[in-house]
Amino acid sequence: METALEAGHILLENGAEIFRVEETMDRICHHYGLESGNAFVLSNGIFVTAGDTREQVFAKVQHIPVSSAQLDKVVAVNQLSREIVQGKYTVQEAGEALKRIRNMQGKTRWARILASGLGSGAFCVLFGGNLQDAFSASAAGLLLYLFVLGMGERLSKIVFNIAGSALVTLLCGFLGFVGVGVHMNFMIMGSIMPLIPGVPFVNAIRDMANGDYISGSVRMLDALLTFVCIAIGVGLGTALLHGGMGGGYLV
Amino acid sequence: MMQAISQILSAALGTMAFGLLYGVPRNYYPYCGAIGGAGWLVYLAVSPWGGILASLVATMAVALLSRFTAIRKRCPVTVFLITGIFPLVPGAQVYWMAYYFVTDETGLAAQNGYLAVKTAFAIVLGIVFVFEIPQRVFARRRKKKC
Repeated sequence: METALEAGHILLENGAEIFRVEETMDRICHHYGLESGNAFVLSNGIFVTAGDTREQVFAKVQHIPVSSAQLDKVVAVNQLSREIVQGKYTVQEAGEALKRIRNMQGKTRWARILASGLGSGAFCVLFGGNLQDAFSASAAGLLLYLFVLGMGERLSKIVFNIAGSALVTLLCGFLGFVGVGVHMNFMIMGSIMPLIPGVPFVNAIRDMANGDYISGSVRMLDALLTFVCIAIGVGLGTALLHGGMGGGYLV
Repeated sequence: MMQAISQILSAALGTMAFGLLYGVPRNYYPYCGAIGGAGWLVYLAVSPWGGILASLVATMAVALLSRFTAIRKRCPVTVFLITGIFPLVPGAQVYWMAYYFVTDETGLAAQNGYLAVKTAFAIVLGIVFVFEIPQRVFARRRKKKC
């Protein structure tokens, strides 16, 4: 059951849906001969009870803080649970495999910074910017992700999102001012994309569709709050730009 | 036409980049990109009939494609769905709302805010509709979790 709990923990932490967590844990419990395995999963906690013929009831609660998503771990645990059901692992081996998955290296920081820049540039083109705009959006996206990596741990989520999007807005304003980019709007739209809460938004919808209303609404609130914070940050940045440059500058 | 092609390409590229950001395994990048691009293609194709409808249909397309790919590759559908939905998320409307709000155009700000909420609802409905389709339609008698 420790194994099941660990698997559930990794899944939940890295952005899997509630029903996937529950189902995976159920399958692992049943495979290892626990008769009355029962898991109750919320968006930031797992409650399991289990019993077999020797032990009557055994319960465990684990709190799981919200953190950033690493989808490759979800893929790995999913694969592992399928192989467990096929009987390829003993309990100990499964535990070790989970430990390996937990320590799995994410992408390097530079790769992620580059990806953020690339994504910002691409989405800038998508919203209608030209190549110059895309270039400056990329630059803003790169710097934004540097900020994310540097400050993400230290600031609260609200302040972090407001500061991040304000930073991007100011940066784009500056780049537009020195003449690298032409369309301010498209530049900003592109470069705030790395902040947009895609994972909680999609997971919230799917949790609600599966009837996990508590987790669904918590995650939806998370997504909405982030959207609002981004809007505030952009507004703040725009206001600063207007004030600093005598208004009417933004086209 | 040129613009449409460059937009679709950039949607695909952006989707892949965000896939990397969220730690999608490397061998799934092409699929993520293809799904993101296809989503935007559908959006552009339907958008003459209204932006909200286009968001709805495009989300359904993305969700369908994600489910098919997830079954074929035997991996969680979340991987493709989250990345593929990114081009459709109403980031632009949120931006316009903040922009008009600051520039004292409250009417336009409210309008864009409503638009963002409506788009979000379209995405919700699109995902919910597609995930109501029973798994076995996709699995073709192969009983596998997506």
